[in-house]
Amino acid sequence: MRAIGALAMLAAVGCGAPEGGETLQARLSLVETLAGTDTVGYARALEPRAFDFPVDHGPHPAFRTEWWYVTGNLTSEAGREFGFQFTIFRNALSPTAPESPSAWATNQAYMGHFTVTDVEGRRFYAYERFARGAVGLAGAQAEPLRVWLEDWTLEAAAPQAFPLRLEARDDDVALRLDLAAGKPSVLQGDRGLSQKGPEPGNASYYYAHTRLPASGTLAVGGDTLRVTGTAWLDREWSTSALSEGQVGWDWFALQLDDGWDLMIYRLRRADGSADALSDGVLVDPDGVRVPLDWGADVTMEPTGSWTSPIDGAVYPSGWHITVPGRGWDLTVEPRLSNQELDVSFRYWEGAVAVGGVGEGGAVVAGSGYVELTGYAGEPTRP
Amino acid sequence: MKLLTKASLRYLRQHVMQLVLSVLGVALGVAVVLSIDLATESARTGFRISAETVSGRATHQITSDVAPIDERLLARLRTELGIRESAPVVEGFGSSPLLPGQALRILGIDPFSEGPFRPFVVGGGLGVDVADFVTSRRGIIMSQTMATRAGLAVGDSLPVLVGGQAWSLPVVGTVDPTDALARAGLSDVLLMDIAGAQEVLDLVGGLTRVDLRLPEGAAGEGMEMAIRERLAPGASLLAAGTRTDAMGGMIDAFDVNLTALSLLALIFGMFLIYNAVTFSVVQRRQLLGRLRAIGVTRPEILRLILWEAAWIGTAGAALGVVSGLVLARGLVRLVTRTINDLYFSVSVESVPVEPVLLVKAAALGVGATLLAALPPALEAAGANPRVAALRSVIESRARRMVPRAAALGVLSVAVGWLVLEFSSRSLAVSFAGLFFVIAGLALVTPAGALILVRISRPLLEAVGGTLGLIASRGVVSALSRTAPAIAALVVAVSVTVGLGVMIQSFRGTLERWLDGTLRADIYVSLPGATATRAAGTLWPDLLDTFVAHPDVVGHSTYRGVDLLEEVGGYRLVALDLDPRGEQAFDFMEGDAAGIMQRFTAAEGVIVSEPFAFRRGSSRGDLVTIPTPAGEQSLEVLGVFYDYGSDQGAVMMTRALYDRFFDDPGVTSLALFVGPGVDSEAVVRDLLGQVSAGRTVIARTNDSLRTASLEVFDRTFRVTAVLRFLAFIVAFVGVLSALMALELERSRELGVMRAWGLTPGQLWRLVLTQTGLMGLVSGVLAVPMGIVLSIVMIFVVNKRAFGWTLQMQIGPEILLQAVGLALVGALTAGIYPAWRMARTRPALALRGE
Repeated sequence: MRAIGALAMLAAVGCGAPEGGETLQARLSLVETLAGTDTVGYARALEPRAFDFPVDHGPHPAFRTEWWYVTGNLTSEAGREFGFQFTIFRNALSPTAPESPSAWATNQAYMGHFTVTDVEGRRFYAYERFARGAVGLAGAQAEPLRVWLEDWTLEAAAPQAFPLRLEARDDDVALRLDLAAGKPSVLQGDRGLSQKGPEPGNASYYYAHTRLPASGTLAVGGDTLRVTGTAWLDREWSTSALSEGQVGWDWFALQLDDGWDLMIYRLRRADGSADALSDGVLVDPDGVRVPLDWGADVTMEPTGSWTSPIDGAVYPSGWHITVPGRGWDLTVEPRLSNQELDVSFRYWEGAVAVGGVGEGGAVVAGSGYVELTGYAGEPTRP
Repeated sequence: MKLLTKASLRYLRQHVMQLVLSVLGVALGVAVVLSIDLATESARTGFRISAETVSGRATHQITSDVAPIDERLLARLRTELGIRESAPVVEGFGSSPLLPGQALRILGIDPFSEGPFRPFVVGGGLGVDVADFVTSRRGIIMSQTMATRAGLAVGDSLPVLVGGQAWSLPVVGTVDPTDALARAGLSDVLLMDIAGAQEVLDLVGGLTRVDLRLPEGAAGEGMEMAIRERLAPGASLLAAGTRTDAMGGMIDAFDVNLTALSLLALIFGMFLIYNAVTFSVVQRRQLLGRLRAIGVTRPEILRLILWEAAWIGTAGAALGVVSGLVLARGLVRLVTRTINDLYFSVSVESVPVEPVLLVKAAALGVGATLLAALPPALEAAGANPRVAALRSVIESRARRMVPRAAALGVLSVAVGWLVLEFSSRSLAVSFAGLFFVIAGLALVTPAGALILVRISRPLLEAVGGTLGLIASRGVVSALSRTAPAIAALVVAVSVTVGLGVMIQSFRGTLERWLDGTLRADIYVSLPGATATRAAGTLWPDLLDTFVAHPDVVGHSTYRGVDLLEEVGGYRLVALDLDPRGEQAFDFMEGDAAGIMQRFTAAEGVIVSEPFAFRRGSSRGDLVTIPTPAGEQSLEVLGVFYDYGSDQGAVMMTRALYDRFFDDPGVTSLALFVGPGVDSEAVVRDLLGQVSAGRTVIARTNDSLRTASLEVFDRTFRVTAVLRFLAFIVAFVGVLSALMALELERSRELGVMRAWGLTPGQLWRLVLTQTGLMGLVSGVLAVPMGIVLSIVMIFVVNKRAFGWTLQMQIGPEILLQAVGLALVGALTAGIYPAWRMARTRPALALRGE
């Protein structure tokens, strides 16, 4: 559940002036844009479909939005801990590509977010990019898989996609990772159809690779380190997702040391309650999917809060998650409290540490990523 | 001091007319200087603002004149070099029937790259969904002002003609910047997505430029090096503004010329002041002598005269600034039109009231007044109180001064000539030399006038009897007053003669050149942004159709590429010449047939005279031309006369061009028809074959010739206006001087009336006298004007534009000069004659 991309993309192009208050006022209101845009002409996620890999690793340009979302926790040889997020969002600006002899003509726009959390250094680096999906600036292809935005790339080293090579750099932060498939892909929701709103079509196609052993190098703060760790790939595409009354979401992707993975998201309504379409899933060490029913099988409660220094927006920070039917009782703590992306569309997405009781009553530890949206106002910088 | 002020005020009150004319003279001078300054400055500012607006916050730009930049460069810059702050731009010009007379700058951008560059693109009330902008095919965003003028709203389409192709561009948004600068910069911009702009501007696959923001210091320099390694030959990486400066530099010569002309007007104004102040001193000799006798000191007298001048100057400057602002509004249209015709597209929305320029013009006015008043003021202060009052002393001294002035004048002319001879190429220095010449000639005038008057005496006696003699002697006996007036009139008229001869020579040269150059019968080109240069690419299919017309027996093609270098711009031309067109070139030296033979054999290039002049290159030298295949050093086979562009041209054969350029396009086409074929009919025929949506300009030899001369005439309209204004200033000066002169003679005329001079005779006397002065001035102005025109034609024009003009002097210009001087002088006599004829002799005799 990371529909943020669609919103942010439309927003960001509308702002972007590096200085001068006046010009910024004219930034497009994303929400208005999204609300006012009809879905006519786009493909919709109406019913479960057969997934076909490696083709489905590639783009689905008939849908409005799509993303390749990689997050993970890394450790250097010396034991320094890092988190990273690498996301490329694809956004169709219109149902069909404009007819034109120009190679620039496209309806596909790309946005990238790249963050590194230096836990020990207490630093959070966040970068954002845009490009149109044309003339080699950005794009996505299935075989061999290659998704790129300038020199940020996620590409397959082999025809069947895995292992993947991820590369991103900005300023003096650079990440280069090889990602192996630790488990097979998991189809989320109903055979990959993830319903987000009650209306038919307010849904996405959604699969994930919940455990990707990662190794590579990370340059940060003047050091270049060899790192290893575990990453998570989310793939989702849709044309419309949110319904009226839904204001944001809290999304968790947790990887436990015993091999179990947990993904849950709570769709929040304007009154703060959880939407009935909130959802979750467990993945066992062999990659077998165990669906969770939000109301009955899983609970999630914030245990603390964090106030953004930017405008005083208050985010939950620290959670208590239980899966009562299996005896799970987990605490989730941010590795760094400030992992807020002050980009076109402000949100918090950061590395977390997990501890508590897991499968079979065993004490477990783990790590993961949490995404929190709908808490902050307008971005303060583009 | 109080006494002095009173005396001064009293005098001025009694000579209101003189006062008014003095103020008017300063005002006119200031107005002309200011308006020219404002007009050229507005044009420059308009150009700079739009250049800056469209290049935004870029620190550097990658440009290429020889070929469009490969669009794939951008991705390489981003991915290989990590240069993220880079934005592609596709730019060109078009026009719209809904916005007549305005060149529209089509600016194609990629909104995703724009963030750091052009804030108006992504902010400032764009009011446009970026998705619409990018995905609407050929959608445009225009300023609200322009949309209103075109009567369009969002959802409508703007018909636009680009390179002869008609497009209908949907308006997807309007922008209404609150910032005045952005508004001015966007006044002529049609903002398009880069895809649409590539299509409309026929630049698919290419970019006009890439805007960059590079860091300062070593990091930036490293990036620059890395970028340069990736550039195609002919492309260059320049600091932002370099190109704008180079382009702006194209109009420097034009600008200096206008400024010099405007200064001329001010100098006339100075003459006027000098005259008026001298006169006021002369008139008050007795009073000043008495004041000195009662103990007023010399500095006090000096201060008194200068103080008066300062007031006149201030009043004149104030009036001049106001009228200059008004005048500028008219002139700016002429100036921008010329720049658009000859150099580049510029649009000026308004004339900004630039305080610096206002102050400068006003200070110039007051300063010039004081400077002009200084000599008479010094003289008044220096006069011996005892002899000051004696008229005879003054006049005899004035007569003694004549040879000295003449000697000084000859010296000044000589100095001016030396300056012109040895100032190499500086235009400003050339004008300084020109002013020396003018001043020198003015100083020689009194001597010339005395001689002419003496020569004309028998004639006047024969025609007018005693009255004729009196009139003639009156000019000589009041030399201290008549000489400055005559000098002013001579200078003014000679300058109009000089300018007239220069324009006429230029036009004549152009006509002859056109006759020699336009060898073909029909010329085909696309409607372009500037009137004098064909641009765009003719459709190949159309080319084939035209050439295949049964009446067409031969054709030449022409490909023009504008190259801009820091030293200036020039046009590279590829010629595919029909043998009939080979004699079109008139070479400065060398055997034309031999040159053309080598040219056709692609052994080198031929260059135009302005190009050779600017680069200091001549026959046999090598010129280096940037091409997509790298720089090429080519031999200059010959230098030909060319009056098409002061920026210069380099021509090569098509075959040679094709060796270096991957550019099969043709800019214009010349067709030869068979003998006895009616070109007009063929043109109609050809135009009938042009498919809908396309516009070409096909003209017969005659109509192209006419159109070219029209552009010429339009170009010189500014000069003509200045010539006229300069004359007005001079005329006012003469009017005031002669009028004062005659009025001052009231007493003398009163005596004559008392002796029995009838009112009719008095009219005759006065008008004969002023007429004589006018005639003398007119006759003196002719040779002086010719001298000036020689300087303007052979020195100033050559240095400013680099071309040789053949001098041509039409009798009408000379007659006009004499006529103008005569009419001016006669007009000046009317009021005094009328007043004196009306006044009873007794009253006149009573004096002051």
